Amino acid sequence: MSRKPKQIAIYGKGGIGKSTTTSNISAALAEAGYKVMQFGCDPKADSTNTLRGGEYIPSVLDLLAEKRRVDAREAVFKGFAGIYCVEAGGPAPGVGCAGRGIITAVELLKQQRVFEDLDLDFVIYDVLGDVVCGGFAVPVREGIAEHVFTVSSADFMAIYAANNLFRGIEKFSNSGGALLGGIIANSINTDFQREIIEDFADKTSTPIVQFVPRSLTVTQAELSGKTTIEAAPHSEQADVYRALARHIAGHEISKVPTPLSPAELREWSARWAEHVVQMERTERGERARPRVVA
Amino acid sequence: MNIQSRFDDDIAGSFSAAPGPIEQVRYACALGALTSVIAIEGAIPISHCGPGCASKQFHALSGISGYQGGEFHVPSTNIGNKEVIFGGADRLDELIASTLKVMEAELYVVQSGCIPGLVGDDVANVVQSYQRRGVPIVFAETLGYRGTNFTGHETVVRAILDQYVAKQAGPAPRSQKRLVNVWSLLPYQNPFWRGDLTEIRRILEGIGLTVNILFGPASEGLAEWRAIPSAALNLVLSPWLGLATARHLESVYGQPFLHVPAVPIGAQATSAFLRQVAEELDLDSGPVEAFITREERDYYHYLRDFAHFYAGCTSQYQLPSEVNIVGESAYALSLARFFVGDLGLNPGVIVLTENPPEHERETIHRSFRDLAPGIDGEPVFEADGHRAHAVIRAKPRIGELPLLFGSTWEAGVAQEIGAPLVEISYPATDEVVIARSYVGYRGALQLLERTYTTVVRQSTEENPETAAL
Repeated sequence: MSRKPKQIAIYGKGGIGKSTTTSNISAALAEAGYKVMQFGCDPKADSTNTLRGGEYIPSVLDLLAEKRRVDAREAVFKGFAGIYCVEAGGPAPGVGCAGRGIITAVELLKQQRVFEDLDLDFVIYDVLGDVVCGGFAVPVREGIAEHVFTVSSADFMAIYAANNLFRGIEKFSNSGGALLGGIIANSINTDFQREIIEDFADKTSTPIVQFVPRSLTVTQAELSGKTTIEAAPHSEQADVYRALARHIAGHEISKVPTPLSPAELREWSARWAEHVVQMERTERGERARPRVVA
Repeated sequence: MNIQSRFDDDIAGSFSAAPGPIEQVRYACALGALTSVIAIEGAIPISHCGPGCASKQFHALSGISGYQGGEFHVPSTNIGNKEVIFGGADRLDELIASTLKVMEAELYVVQSGCIPGLVGDDVANVVQSYQRRGVPIVFAETLGYRGTNFTGHETVVRAILDQYVAKQAGPAPRSQKRLVNVWSLLPYQNPFWRGDLTEIRRILEGIGLTVNILFGPASEGLAEWRAIPSAALNLVLSPWLGLATARHLESVYGQPFLHVPAVPIGAQATSAFLRQVAEELDLDSGPVEAFITREERDYYHYLRDFAHFYAGCTSQYQLPSEVNIVGESAYALSLARFFVGDLGLNPGVIVLTENPPEHERETIHRSFRDLAPGIDGEPVFEADGHRAHAVIRAKPRIGELPLLFGSTWEAGVAQEIGAPLVEISYPATDEVVIARSYVGYRGALQLLERTYTTVVRQSTEENPETAAL
C-alpha cells in the first residue's frame, strides 16, 4: 500500500538561491535513503537542472502543448541519486498565463496519482516566490503541500517577497492550506545580515531553520551542473545542506504565520535602512550629522 | 493603434462596474455586442472566447427578447485550458485564416471575450496583420468583465469607425448637407429596435433627409457605414448610448451632433423632434411642415377615435392613472414622456435597469424633468430585480390605478400591485416581436393598442361577469 508522501513547498524570490537550496535538500534527502521528487513550479523550468547534470527536461506543459491527453509519467525524469525530477513549465515569456500553467501541471500529477504510484517519501515543490497570482499559490492550497519554507536573504526585496508569501499562507490557512515551517536564511555571511533576518523572523514569530552562508563551492558545483552534495560531498557547505535536510525531514509542526502589514513592513525596513546608512558612515569615519528637520 | 492609445481612447473610461450580485438579469456582457455586428447587413463577428460564450450571448439577446431570431453564424476560437496557459493568439490567427476561406462578408469583426483579456492575448497584432493585407477586418476588445452589451456596443462601433470607416480608400468624404447618422436604440436588447429604427428612418426621410440608420432591416448595411463621414449631423436619440460615439466623430470629422435624449413617441414629441432636426440642419420649413401636417392628420384622426374609448364614453373600464416603468433608460424616458405628457397619467416608479456609466447618470436623471409641464419623473438606477420590485411595492398608491411597463420579470410584482403589465424591456418572453414599433407617429398608435388591449383584457379576466354584460 502506498504511503502519503510528505509534501513540502519552498518559496523564494527569483534569484535568491531557491532552486539551488531546494536541489541540495533533495540531494541530501536522497543521499540519506529517502525517495524524493522535486517539482519545479517556475515557467523557466530550470529547477532540477543541477540534479540532471545541467540538462533541461521536457516540462509537463511541453507535453500538454503537444497533445490533448497527457500521461504525466512522461514528464518524470530520474536524476541524481534516483530523485524524480518534474518541471511544470509554462508559456513563452509575455504570453498566456503562467499561473494557470502551474495549476494545471500540479493538478495533472495529482489526478493521475503519480505521487502515490512512485511510493515517495518526499515531494518538494520549488516555487517562484513572488506569489503574484492564484496559480503560484496552488502548492500552499488545500491538499498539496503541508509545510512551506521560504528561502530569503537579508535583502529587503527578498524579505518583502517572504512577507507576501506569509500573507498568502495566512489567507489559505483557515481552509486547510499549508502552514509555515520557517525561513531558510540564505547568503548570510555577516552578523549584520544575520541580525536583519533574525529581526524579521522575530517580528513575524517565524523560526529560522538554517543559516546558509554564501559559498564559492556552491557556485563551482552549479557551473558544473551539479548540486553541492554531488560535486563536493565532503565540503562544509554540503554539511550545511545535510543539516537543513535533516531538519526538514524531521519537521512536523508548522504554524500560521503572522505577517507584517504593509505599513509595519515599510516602517521596519526604514528603521533598518537608517541603521545601514549610519553603519556605513561610521565605517567611512564620518561623523553622523544631526538630521535637519524641515 | 498601439495598446496605450487603446487604453486612452477606450470608452471603458466610461465603463461601469458590475453592480454586484443581481437577481434577474436584464442585460448581457460586453461580448453580447456581437448582436450589434449581426445587426449590420454584410458584417460577421469572429469570436475569440471560451466555448458557449458567443452562442449564449446571442440566444439570450435574440431569443428571450421578443423571439427576434436572426442570423447567427459566428466562428469561434472556442478556447480552453491550453490557450489560457500558452495564449490564444495563434488559435485566433488560424481561425481568421479559415474563416476568410469559407465565409464571405464585407466586414469581419473580431470580438475577444474574457479569457484573451485575462491572459493578455495580443489580438491587435493578429488582426493588424490581416488589415495590412487589405482584409476588411477590425477587432473590438469586448471583454465580458469590462462592461455590458451597452458599453460593448460602443466598443464595437468605435472599432468599425476607426479601423474600417476611417481607412476607406479614395478622396476625403464630402459633407452632404442632408445626410444624418442615427445613434439610437441598442439592437436586440430592445425588443422593438427593428421596427423603431424603421420608423425613425421613415420620419427623417419624410422631412427630406438621407439617413444612415446603420443597423437592422431598414439599413443599407455597410454602405451606410462607409458614408458616415459624409454626414452633416450625428443624431443621438437616446439618453446616453451613442454620445461617446458622437463626441468621437465630432473630434475626428468635425461633425456636429444633436442630442435628443427621448426617442419621440406620439405626434407632439415627434413633430417637435422633426422641427428641432430641421432647424439644426437649416432645412427649408415648407416640406418639413408638409410632412408633419400629413402625419399629424393621420395620427389625430386615429387618436380622435381612440378618445371615445379613452374618455370612457364607450367603455366601462377603469383606466390606469399612474405609469410605472422598469427598463433601460432609452425606452423608460420615451414612455414616461408619452404617458405623462400626452396621456396625462401620473408618473409612478421609474426604474432604469441597464447600469449606465456613473458619469452619465446625472444627464439621464435630468432628462426625466418636466415630463409634463411642472411634473418631474424621479428615476431610480437599479439593475437588481429584487430591489427594483421592492421600490415598486413600497410606493403608496391611494386612489391610483397603476400601469406597469417592464420585462417578463415584472409579472409577479405587476400582479401584486394590480397593474396590467406591458412588456417593453429585456427579457421579454411573453411578446413575439417582428416589425412592431412603438415610436414616432405610427409606433405610438401601436403602443396605445398594445397597452389598452392589455388593460382591457386584464379587466375582463378580473371581472368576467361585468364583461359579459
